[in-house]
Amino acid sequence: MSTQTTVHQTKWWSGGKSPFNLEYGKLMMWYFLMSDAFTFGAFLISYGSIRFSQNFWPDPNVVFNAFPGAGHANLPLAFVSIMTFILIISSVTMVLAVHAGHKEDKKGVIKWLAWTIVGGLAFLGCQAWEWHHLITGEHAVLATAADGKQYIDIIGQTMGGNPWGQLADHNTAMVALNNSSHETLLHLVRESGIKDNGQLAGLSHEKLVGMVQLEHLHIREKGPIAFGGYFYGITGFHGFHVFSGVIINIIMLLMSQKGVFERRGHYLMIEKAGLYWHFVDLVWVFVFLCFYLI
Amino acid sequence: MSEAMNVYPEVTTSHAVHHDEHHVHHHKETFITKYIFSQDHKTIGKQFLITGIIWAIIGGLFSVLFRLQLGYPDQTFPILETFFGKWARGGQIQPEFYYALITIHGTVLVFFVLTAGLSGTFANILIPLQIGARDMASPFLNMLSYWFFFMASVVMFSSLFITTGPASGGWTVYPPLSALGQALEGSKLGMDLWLISMALFVVSSLLGGLNYISTILNMRTKGMSMTRMPLTIWAMFFTAVLGVLSFPVLLSGAILLLFDRNLGTSFYLSDIVVNGEILPNEGGSAILFQHLFWFLGHPEVYIILLPAMGMVSEILSVNSRKPIFGYMAMLGSLFAICILAFLVWAHHMFVTGLNPFLGSIFVLLTLLIAVPSAIKVFNWLTTLWRGNIRFTPATLFAIGFVSLFISGGLTGIFLGNSTIDIHLHDTMFVVAHFHIVMGVASMFGMFAGVYHWFPKMFGRYLNSTLGYIHFWVTMVGAYLIFWPMHYQGLAGMPRRYLDKSSWVSFTQFGELDKMITIVSIIVFAVQLMFVFNFFYSIFKGRKVTTTNPWGANTLEWTTPIRPGHGNWEGEIPEVHRWAYDYGKDGREFIPQTEPIGENESKH
Amino acid sequence: MQHPAFEEVTVHHHVQDDAAFRKKVRKTTILLSIITVIELGIGLTIYTIHKGANPNATLVLMFKGMVCILSLAKAFYIVSVFMHLGDEIRNMIMTIVVPLMLFIWFIIAFITDGNSYKNLRNKYDPHFKESTMPKKHQQKDKKETTPVEKSGKE
Repeated sequence: MSTQTTVHQTKWWSGGKSPFNLEYGKLMMWYFLMSDAFTFGAFLISYGSIRFSQNFWPDPNVVFNAFPGAGHANLPLAFVSIMTFILIISSVTMVLAVHAGHKEDKKGVIKWLAWTIVGGLAFLGCQAWEWHHLITGEHAVLATAADGKQYIDIIGQTMGGNPWGQLADHNTAMVALNNSSHETLLHLVRESGIKDNGQLAGLSHEKLVGMVQLEHLHIREKGPIAFGGYFYGITGFHGFHVFSGVIINIIMLLMSQKGVFERRGHYLMIEKAGLYWHFVDLVWVFVFLCFYLI
Repeated sequence: MSEAMNVYPEVTTSHAVHHDEHHVHHHKETFITKYIFSQDHKTIGKQFLITGIIWAIIGGLFSVLFRLQLGYPDQTFPILETFFGKWARGGQIQPEFYYALITIHGTVLVFFVLTAGLSGTFANILIPLQIGARDMASPFLNMLSYWFFFMASVVMFSSLFITTGPASGGWTVYPPLSALGQALEGSKLGMDLWLISMALFVVSSLLGGLNYISTILNMRTKGMSMTRMPLTIWAMFFTAVLGVLSFPVLLSGAILLLFDRNLGTSFYLSDIVVNGEILPNEGGSAILFQHLFWFLGHPEVYIILLPAMGMVSEILSVNSRKPIFGYMAMLGSLFAICILAFLVWAHHMFVTGLNPFLGSIFVLLTLLIAVPSAIKVFNWLTTLWRGNIRFTPATLFAIGFVSLFISGGLTGIFLGNSTIDIHLHDTMFVVAHFHIVMGVASMFGMFAGVYHWFPKMFGRYLNSTLGYIHFWVTMVGAYLIFWPMHYQGLAGMPRRYLDKSSWVSFTQFGELDKMITIVSIIVFAVQLMFVFNFFYSIFKGRKVTTTNPWGANTLEWTTPIRPGHGNWEGEIPEVHRWAYDYGKDGREFIPQTEPIGENESKH
Repeated sequence: MQHPAFEEVTVHHHVQDDAAFRKKVRKTTILLSIITVIELGIGLTIYTIHKGANPNATLVLMFKGMVCILSLAKAFYIVSVFMHLGDEIRNMIMTIVVPLMLFIWFIIAFITDGNSYKNLRNKYDPHFKESTMPKKHQQKDKKETTPVEKSGKE
């Protein structure tokens, strides 16, 4: 408090210099990321709050079990682990780009930035595939008609519907099957592995019901709707960060190429872009944790 | 290096040189770069202030309109229909209009006036000047901060003119009311515009806050250690920290609400029937929104209050010619308030269905805030105690702030108890409490700041006579308006109701409500007088003839009377002491730039 | 010595020794990969437990806790090595780490209240309970009544 005591404090805080030995831009970037961490934190904690307010929540291993080109094979977590590794590796290439910047090695910066951009785009591609697969996926669920009768409906994972409820017991599913529409039955028969050469459409309702192999279809009840909203909302928000990170990296790449940083005599901008990119990776650690693992 | 300097002089040379060069060629600035897209922190501060004043007039006018309804529920005012058409059919304020008025009144005053207008103004003007910096760390982002605020203002303002009207679900925009267009006219387009405006506002406050923090940390002049900073700067610092950490949570909440409104998600909605129509939304939680909202909302209270506290500390010390009492205690209590502000949000939600056990923890944490608040109050009073007080309008407003902070703070202790809150929640008692402690008190801090730093901003004084009239009418008026509301609230009179005349038990308050309405019209008129004083004095006020008119220690008074971009003409002065050496060793004041004398006593 | 670009930066960051740096990055990359693989393993273990006839809730919870801790470890390595926070001045580290402590109460309060909302709905909304309660656990959960709800009745 007194002028006398401040003299004895560490010289870092005495003014005229940064107490952290950092330029303001990096400081702002750090505090911006902290602020952004609260945005993501709020999303994920809201998700947790809603999840805890439900009696049932789908097991992520059941939801995320597809792999491009693998058809209906049950491969839980396989695809998302690839996405995770892509992001980790792109983080590593970013570290190398920043390091090359320290050494004012223009070629190194450009090379590693390019790889980081490739990683980012690959991640976005994976995410696009996953979203597409979930939205267009066709899953048989129990639905209730206005008159109270249960039937089987075919839905995808959307903001307003979730096909990943509890497994329906056999008897309920059987009753619902009998109440289902002709189209639904045709779909289920095909799902049961029976080749359709146009002959199925002519079959009677009962015939079709008989051909459906219920035990292979895993008919479920509808799950909590909030699941889809949070999944698309949060991974979308993360994907938006990845996207903007890629844009930033492309700008950095072009600026390095034009020799802007070379003329400035330092590559500090790359460091800030790097911080942002690592933050994107950091957020993914928690998105991965909250949606895919627990 | 020399070649590099030719290409990018501002980057490869040191900051001091960089700003001096700017200083030189800023004389050739055009009108647009000097007054509109200015990167000078002082101009940006003034832009925030003037935009804030315009919003304050709009918000204040709205309160007069709904006070007319509350004071004279049966009377018709044909002139209202002339101006507002269908919103005031037959000269009576329609329910939708009433709800729009209170919603926009709250939003505008909380966010646009007391956040942007207060901390936007004074953080911008005071931080570089008082810590000894040429400008903000990033003048460009600082400019963007204002223009994002401007865009937020434009969006909000435009929402007042759409057919379905602006948002009308209360300034807290609780879903499901705010999420469902079929439930309320104001929840149609107006609500989307509200959310977009608020998102832009969050960006603005984030850009500003990051700048304030990194400027205060990095750009202090030589010798300006953290504990030599004036309390204003500490207050702005904690305000910025609060904003940077809490506004993003509001952003998240707003984004989820936008999704619920437009994309059919169910974050906040569950089991809802509107006009016989069963909505498909299921599994959401309306309480979740309140949690997210108040995680911002409570720190927001302190975002509003802390700058006022900081400025009041400075103004009281300068004008009582005494060092601030308990500088470190003031600092510590600011810090404690800053931390506690994040831990107490759910005391706004005691009766929403919040887990009562969780509520009791929130009660405990809430009541803890009384400790640092009381420390601050006692320190202000002891600073004044036996001081050689100069009763300038700024001093009066600062003392008024302390008075209001005590009155409003005490009722906060009532409301912080969850059991008493069962009776008092959503009554006029709450309205009285937060208007006194947060609304009027912060306005007083803002007025004090404007009267005190007006000479620095415009090189002229505000008219003191008008200032005294402004103070006394506002002070007496504020108590006349809000004190009786406590009684109404204790009697159970609900807030936000359009017309309470059908309750026999509230008819006793009919005359009281009329009185409140009349006083609020008078107080509003006096504010217009202040606005006149403000704009008149910019051009015609008494000129400042000395660089340090108040005899203050802080650095802003070592700059020229009308500092240019870069603030100091020569070197930035070095600091040798704290900001509060008043009445020391027989000297009235010792500026911070004066080196410590050989025989100087400790303080 | 002053940094060429920024007056406020007083000590120049020396370029790290190339070999040591590469070694550090390689080590961290391998570590992050191993942790991720372990996490995936635990994820699959949880899946297997869930598939079994009688899932052991405590065991699942324990595994989930382990994944959380592993994720925090991953976050620590990313922030301290990749983002170089570990190389900054201690005070700088504190200004980043200390505000993040707010998350503790943020998480506890939100999760507790979410859970409490579920209990309230199970108590007062029989349709919600019937339609969403997992069939196997229904019997067990019926006995649960929190003291708070009891006092509400009196």
